[in-house]
Amino acid sequence: MGLVNFLVYLAIMMGIYGILSLSLNLQYGFTGLANFGHVAFFCLGAYTSTILVLVFKMPFVIGLLGAMVIAGLFGYVISIPTANLKEDYWAIATLAAAEVVRIFFLNEDWVVGGGPYQGGSFGIGGIPQPLRSLFSAYTYPFFYLAVVLLCLAATYVIINTLTQAPFGRVIKSIRSGDNLPQALGKDVRAFRMKVMAIGGSFGGLAGCLWAHYHGFISPNQFMPLETFIVWAMVIVGGKANNRGAIVGAVIIMVFYNSTRFLKDYIPIEEVTLASLRMVVIGVLIVVAMIFMKEGLIKEKKTLY
Amino acid sequence: MEDSIILKIDNVFKNFGGILALNGVSFAVEGNSITGLIGPNGSGKSTLFNVISGFYRKDSGEISFKGEKIERLEPYSIAMLGIGRTFQISEVPEKTTVLENLLLAPKRQCGEGVFNVFLNPVRIKREHENYLNNALDILELIQLRELKNEYAENLSGGQKKLLSLGRILMFEPELLLLDEPTAGVNPTLVKDLMVAIRNLRDQKGITILLVEHNMRVISEICERVVVLDFGQKIAEGTPEEIQRSEVVLEAYLSGSSKRGLLHEDS
Amino acid sequence: MTFVQVVINSIVRASELTLLSMGLTIVYDILKFANFAHTEFAVVGVYLALFLNVSLGLPIVPAAILASMVTGFLSIALDRAVFKRMRSSSGIIVMVTSLGLGIALRNSIRAIWGADAKNYSVPLQAPIITDYFRITPLQIWIILVGMAAMFSFHLLLHHTTLGKAMRASSDNPELAQASGIATEKIITRVWFIAIAFASIGGILIGLETYILPYMGFAIIVPVFCATILGGIGNPYGAMLGALVLGFAENFGLYINFGALLNLGGILGFSKELFIPTGYKPAISFIILIAVLLIRPRGILGRKKEG
Repeated sequence: MGLVNFLVYLAIMMGIYGILSLSLNLQYGFTGLANFGHVAFFCLGAYTSTILVLVFKMPFVIGLLGAMVIAGLFGYVISIPTANLKEDYWAIATLAAAEVVRIFFLNEDWVVGGGPYQGGSFGIGGIPQPLRSLFSAYTYPFFYLAVVLLCLAATYVIINTLTQAPFGRVIKSIRSGDNLPQALGKDVRAFRMKVMAIGGSFGGLAGCLWAHYHGFISPNQFMPLETFIVWAMVIVGGKANNRGAIVGAVIIMVFYNSTRFLKDYIPIEEVTLASLRMVVIGVLIVVAMIFMKEGLIKEKKTLY
Repeated sequence: MEDSIILKIDNVFKNFGGILALNGVSFAVEGNSITGLIGPNGSGKSTLFNVISGFYRKDSGEISFKGEKIERLEPYSIAMLGIGRTFQISEVPEKTTVLENLLLAPKRQCGEGVFNVFLNPVRIKREHENYLNNALDILELIQLRELKNEYAENLSGGQKKLLSLGRILMFEPELLLLDEPTAGVNPTLVKDLMVAIRNLRDQKGITILLVEHNMRVISEICERVVVLDFGQKIAEGTPEEIQRSEVVLEAYLSGSSKRGLLHEDS
Repeated sequence: MTFVQVVINSIVRASELTLLSMGLTIVYDILKFANFAHTEFAVVGVYLALFLNVSLGLPIVPAAILASMVTGFLSIALDRAVFKRMRSSSGIIVMVTSLGLGIALRNSIRAIWGADAKNYSVPLQAPIITDYFRITPLQIWIILVGMAAMFSFHLLLHHTTLGKAMRASSDNPELAQASGIATEKIITRVWFIAIAFASIGGILIGLETYILPYMGFAIIVPVFCATILGGIGNPYGAMLGALVLGFAENFGLYINFGALLNLGGILGFSKELFIPTGYKPAISFIILIAVLLIRPRGILGRKKEG
């Protein structure tokens, strides 16, 4: 891959993970929801859009909206039984939910209508890229990058507006405990469900963008490690700070992708390299939680 | 007069795994009054507050607010009926400024709705200006105005108490449950607080039920006092009657020897 | 597959799970957080035993015992290095930290030993086969070890000073500290016991199936499920939860739901309806969600205030 191509790829990944990071930050950073299953939204978004566009021949925009709706709906539904639970129960419940989603797509190839699309553990290939025919092979990635950045910008604006509004005030109070918001008449459970739905739908957006960029999706791409990478982004970048979330995405993506090339210079196996990358991610999370749990860019103080 | 009773506690029991925190408590609070709730540590005062406001579920008995039974509602629903409360240990969300705390309090804010945030910015701005003015006035009253942009968690214990009071005033309750509002507050400010609490009754028509250990406050502003001990009402009357009551004196004197090291509430 | 076979499989699975769930629950009880690295610690034990057994040639039993103890000590060291700094932090912070630690442990193992499945070197043993069931000596051992573990846990809780201190500490941490029960010492011992037991559980699973770096992650949902189902913080709950889950997982795949739906011919439902084996992990998830919906404190859990 040429340098320019690589940089465009990297930028696109930063954009997609930036959206994931912003959406997780809304849930964890602002509302205190320990969502260990964020990859579920990513996965649902990818599959929904793929099925709508590839199998049902819908336009890309419908695929994108469908991805957001389904993922958002899942966020809402999963929080119905869990919205009043303590954080540790929440964490394991979301973790388990994400695994079930992945297992579902692993087992069910009928979702894709069978036939030429395969599905199941084989994954689905040949996902069409939006407006591909309008561009040459060289310029298309730039167009896609523009699409991704536009989506990132929209995500940032929407989430930032929410967190700076009275809505954001309420969820921040919920973060520290239920007692005060309850005493002030706030329906804590409803707020948590909304945050899961909104965060979820943006996770779905990221999934859609991913699917149409890569052209191929399979359940293996949606392992829990994706969730953990996004957690590292939120923690390192800045808890409850939307710019921090994007910065975190940039940093972790740079780290993650730059280490790919080590293989060319050091005699090291792919598996070992991938594992060591994750060791660093794990250690980063631990170290950040001990020494720097607010991240690089701290939460902004609201001034009136 | 029956119809002026705003809160009626009727034979309420609450058991905590063997400890009977509330053992058949009954009394009534008249509207537009200031009633004190006192008793030694562990007598059930905070438990009662928690039961009234819905944070604990009573085991049996009835609680009525404005004539309607409050039955198995979530705390936020009870709050929305018009019952506001403060906590014995002030609840202060992290990374929230003093001003933000107050702005959090008003009910049914337009900007709390997800769609409203994007579809109704004008109204949100208007409400915000309104709340901001009210908040600054209240901050003036509780003398925290200079600290408006400080993180609330950095305040002293007494200042947090004041903040809690200011916050619940922004909430505009009809019935206000105050849990030790003057604890840790410096004495000169306590005087102003007492004036403020009386004003709430006189000017805003709010009914106040307050738990206090400071007997001066009780005798100066309360019209009636209810005394609890071991989860039961042992006396009820004017502050003078209570101060002269032997039953009450007995309860306080025999205090710490009867109580174990473990007391969940006071 | 006969009914008896399913029962045997259930008990074996329950035995494995109980070794893991008991440890998770006591750490939660004494340290007040959900340790998302719990099963990863167990896997460290699994691979240490592998090293001792395969690379150094130790027979499996001493290898297992030695590996569990070393892993137990390792957990104490990691507690000192990481969690001790966070004794007063909120639950979510410690939980996320344990998540990070789990990621680091799991992938360190993978980096060192690779991603391929491995096996212990144990002498092949012929299974006992009858018309109704088939059981290997290993499976018998697993059941026995499980029972021994439960029994020794019970002895620990009720007949040792540590056990008494653990029970006191869990009921009321402030009082326990005030009465002079040194909570840090208890914490050290709790980690050791929890992780040593968990390692044995992991080794048994490795003996019965394969050894893989991500095997800890594969089992984290069932272990949490068993723990929560039984009542988190209660060791007997952990045992009960493991038992229920072991049976649920195996009977869940065995039951022909089509026959059930048929209701003896009333509904005229004639198809066979089994849960596909690919969904076995989902069974523990469904149970988990059901428990959280209906009775979050679990079967034996205590009700909190309110």
